[in-house]
Amino acid sequence: MATITASAGRRRTASDTSLFAHLDLALLTLPIAISALGLLMIFDASRHETALGGLARLYYVERQGVAVVLGLIAMGVTMAIDYRRIREAWPLVYLAVVPLLVGVVVLGRNHNGAQAWFQIGPFQFQPSEIAKVVVVVAIAGYCHQHRGDLDAWRVGVAVGLTGVVMAIVYAQHDLGTMLVIMVCAAAVLVIAGLKPVHIVVLLLLAASLVGAAVVTGKVHSYQLDRLTSFANQSTPRVPAQDQTPTQFNLGASKAAIASGGFEGAGFGRGLQTKNGFVPEQHTDFIFTAVGEDLGFVGGATLLLLYALLAWRLWRIALLSSDFFGTLVAIGVLAMFAIEVFENVGMTMGIMPITGIPLPFMSYGGSAVITSFIAVGLVLNVHMRRFS
Amino acid sequence: MSDNSRVRVSIVGVVIVALFASLFARLWFLQMGPEQKLGRVVSTLSTRVIQTASPRGEILDRNGKVLAQDVAAWGVTVARDLGPKTRARVLGQLSEVLGIDEKNLRANYESDRQSPLMPAIVALRVPLAQQLAIREHREDYPGVNVVALTIRSYAYDGLASQVLGYVGEIGADQLKQLKSKGYQAGDVVGRDGVEAAYESVLRGKPRRVTVQVDPTGKQIGPPVRVDPGTVGDNVKLTIDINVQKAAERALAQGILAAHTFQDQSKEAVAVGYKTLQPTGGAVVVLDVHDGSVLAMASNPTYPLSWWVGGISNDHFALLSNAGAQNPLLNRATEGQYAPGSTFKLVPSIALNQYNVLGASTYVNDNGSVRLEGTTFTNDNGIRNGSVNLQRALTVSSDVYFYNAGNDFWKIWKLDPQRGLGIQQVAGQLGFGQPTGIELGDAAGRVPDPTWKAAYAHANYKTAKAKQENAIWYPADNIFAAIGQGDDFVTPLQLANAYACFANGGTLWTPYVGQVVTDPMTKQVVEQHAPKARGKIDIPPYTYSQIAGGFAGAVSDKAGTAYPPFQGLFVPVAGKTGTAQIKGKGPTSLFASYFPVGNPQYAVVAVVEQGGHGAQTAAPIVRQVIESINHLPPTPIPTKSTGKD
Repeated sequence: MATITASAGRRRTASDTSLFAHLDLALLTLPIAISALGLLMIFDASRHETALGGLARLYYVERQGVAVVLGLIAMGVTMAIDYRRIREAWPLVYLAVVPLLVGVVVLGRNHNGAQAWFQIGPFQFQPSEIAKVVVVVAIAGYCHQHRGDLDAWRVGVAVGLTGVVMAIVYAQHDLGTMLVIMVCAAAVLVIAGLKPVHIVVLLLLAASLVGAAVVTGKVHSYQLDRLTSFANQSTPRVPAQDQTPTQFNLGASKAAIASGGFEGAGFGRGLQTKNGFVPEQHTDFIFTAVGEDLGFVGGATLLLLYALLAWRLWRIALLSSDFFGTLVAIGVLAMFAIEVFENVGMTMGIMPITGIPLPFMSYGGSAVITSFIAVGLVLNVHMRRFS
Repeated sequence: MSDNSRVRVSIVGVVIVALFASLFARLWFLQMGPEQKLGRVVSTLSTRVIQTASPRGEILDRNGKVLAQDVAAWGVTVARDLGPKTRARVLGQLSEVLGIDEKNLRANYESDRQSPLMPAIVALRVPLAQQLAIREHREDYPGVNVVALTIRSYAYDGLASQVLGYVGEIGADQLKQLKSKGYQAGDVVGRDGVEAAYESVLRGKPRRVTVQVDPTGKQIGPPVRVDPGTVGDNVKLTIDINVQKAAERALAQGILAAHTFQDQSKEAVAVGYKTLQPTGGAVVVLDVHDGSVLAMASNPTYPLSWWVGGISNDHFALLSNAGAQNPLLNRATEGQYAPGSTFKLVPSIALNQYNVLGASTYVNDNGSVRLEGTTFTNDNGIRNGSVNLQRALTVSSDVYFYNAGNDFWKIWKLDPQRGLGIQQVAGQLGFGQPTGIELGDAAGRVPDPTWKAAYAHANYKTAKAKQENAIWYPADNIFAAIGQGDDFVTPLQLANAYACFANGGTLWTPYVGQVVTDPMTKQVVEQHAPKARGKIDIPPYTYSQIAGGFAGAVSDKAGTAYPPFQGLFVPVAGKTGTAQIKGKGPTSLFASYFPVGNPQYAVVAVVEQGGHGAQTAAPIVRQVIESINHLPPTPIPTKSTGKD
């Protein structure tokens, strides 16, 4: 009795005085912890890259550090704005990002290219990263507006909103991000109450689109190579010089993780990592450095951290005071889940190779900042659930 | 939240648990299970040797100023095997990130002067920020690499270009010869001048790195083996860059000034020129005591930096098209000119040596003379009155030397040996053969009956014409005496001959390379010892007559070069030359040495279609002499002065 009173009393006073009383500390701490580990592993995995390129030893670490700090600030800003205002203003958010996305494509077109980033001083900003969160907000906002009344027409509008962004991202040859956006939007729509018949129709649509892309040759050969290598890895070992680049990468990546064993080679001791056998190791293949240097202990711990992150996000989806909050939490959860599963899965050979970063771990400023903003959104939902 | 949604959220939770479970399971199997052995398999990789050139040695002037050196620079290269569309896209993106016009990048990529075997260097001296922008987005720049290059850098770019020579990719023929010395396709070698002459010492031993590569050719792991290579040796020249600069500036100014001169020569008036149209020239400064070259200028010229990183097609056109007058040519060593009256040094010595016209013999110069049925006139038509050798040189009396040439011809009919005295002395002074300078040079030509017969035989068709044109006429010998007709000399030969006379008769082999040193140990690897090629006996009386004549040409009021040297305190001895060229303006020459009493340097200037010797060449020489004596340069007048 006493306990209940105290608890209720604390809640009431806290909601009156400070939003921070309802801050999900676990959800706040997890990204920071993973980012810290990320900085360490980038330091480890970039030693070959920096040595080859004649760069300062800490070059990548410093830049990633700046990105983490910027990400934390962006997260703070996101949390400061009441998410219900974001909920009402979702069309503005959506419309703000489309010109950015189109901008890079046009910029690239003008120079005969398909460039996916803006140059801002010494940094490059990739709008396609932030587009992931924007799509989640937009679809969640739209579905919130029409909650309980999601007819075929409205599903069509939601799919259209997503499709436009996906198409522009595809024009930048960023297949991985396009798939992530698709999964996020799908998750939000399913929770929003998509009828089973719509689910079936959309699945058929997606399948035929992929089929058409492969048949008409819109999928680049290297993209096909990545997909088929994933499928072909059980074939007998091919000599290194006869492998396709992707087969080689995959083999090197798996060998590096496998060599880690239970406790790993020790930080900075992994031979394959140290010698740069695994490509793109400070970016997309950073999990191999974790696997080799820190072994099963380290790899499993990292996966556990991600699982905890997923649990907190899922929990907030259930606790949210409004439908929009639930949908946003689910969208963000889907984003992290597919990124972790795809990225870690690809390094271990159970998923095809695509250029999807490991959240908070991979080197890449735009992705880190976007991930922090996404977490900030969900924290926002959580801490305002009583106000 | 509706119950339906709650169920769906739960389902999502289950899906995510399944995803994570499969990741855990996969990690366990990979690291703890049967696939653990994967890690022990050592990949069999192929190796590749990467040979990178070590820096070339430096080229320094006589005071140790660095003229050419290798510096490190970051360059951006684009692979050769890209499809046209990808290539256009990549160049477009590079243009944006580098801030260089796409046209320039394409021009560099397509330059014929770049190796088709190696990735094309499209940009040099790329700032760090832009290197990183490219490195961080490798996937956006297929085939693009940021590489450390060593490039030739010129502290005095534009000066002594033909002497230093350029460096460029090894040619196919050269490669065949040099393959045994470890050269390979794409190597950079000296292609001209000092860079070519001292290639073997300037070139560093290349660094060879053996690396393992993956199937895409990308390097994996640390190098398997490294042969560090060594830096090339430094070459110190005899060139004084300050004098060189003065010589080039004087030459350029002289040529510019000559454009304003009225061309009065009969030849030029006949073909309708109004002002002179000089097309180039050369200046040579030699130390008369050892043949070392203090300065060697050639005009038109160009900056050597054009070649760095592969010359663009536009620049190459500027060097090679017809209107450019061949800036690559070192006119000091390769330009062959009719020497005009500067050649009179040769008959002056010859007629004393062969006792033809005594040095004290006077000849009456009425402005023209009739010899063997032909009238020969002074170039300027002036009557000089009674002249001996000294006076004939001072006022440049052609009549005196026509007589000398005719006398030699008459003797030749009786005694071919003695009759070819002019040609023999010419040979002793180094004419008609390369000087032996390490840069290589043209031989020039001293006509004699044997040459004329051979020439007629080779160039005329009918037997009759061959026979007629092979005859050695008096006029041949007469014109040979005044440096007209078929005589050809290089400016270097002329300077060397005057140096030989000035030092009392020792003919040196000119040279530009003084010392070769190892840049690491600072030890001298090779020291050039001056080489005397020959000795000509010049009796004191002859010497004083000729030297007096040359000194008079500059200091006597009647001297041909008096006006351009008026007011110069350095005593100079010299001879003007104006060589008539059929269909073109006359070649302007001035050959000199100074100071008169104790000669130190010989200075020669030659300007193609430059008018009179005193008009264009002499003022150029004056400026060079002023520079050597640290005097302020006297501006070159833009109106005609003096006569020949």
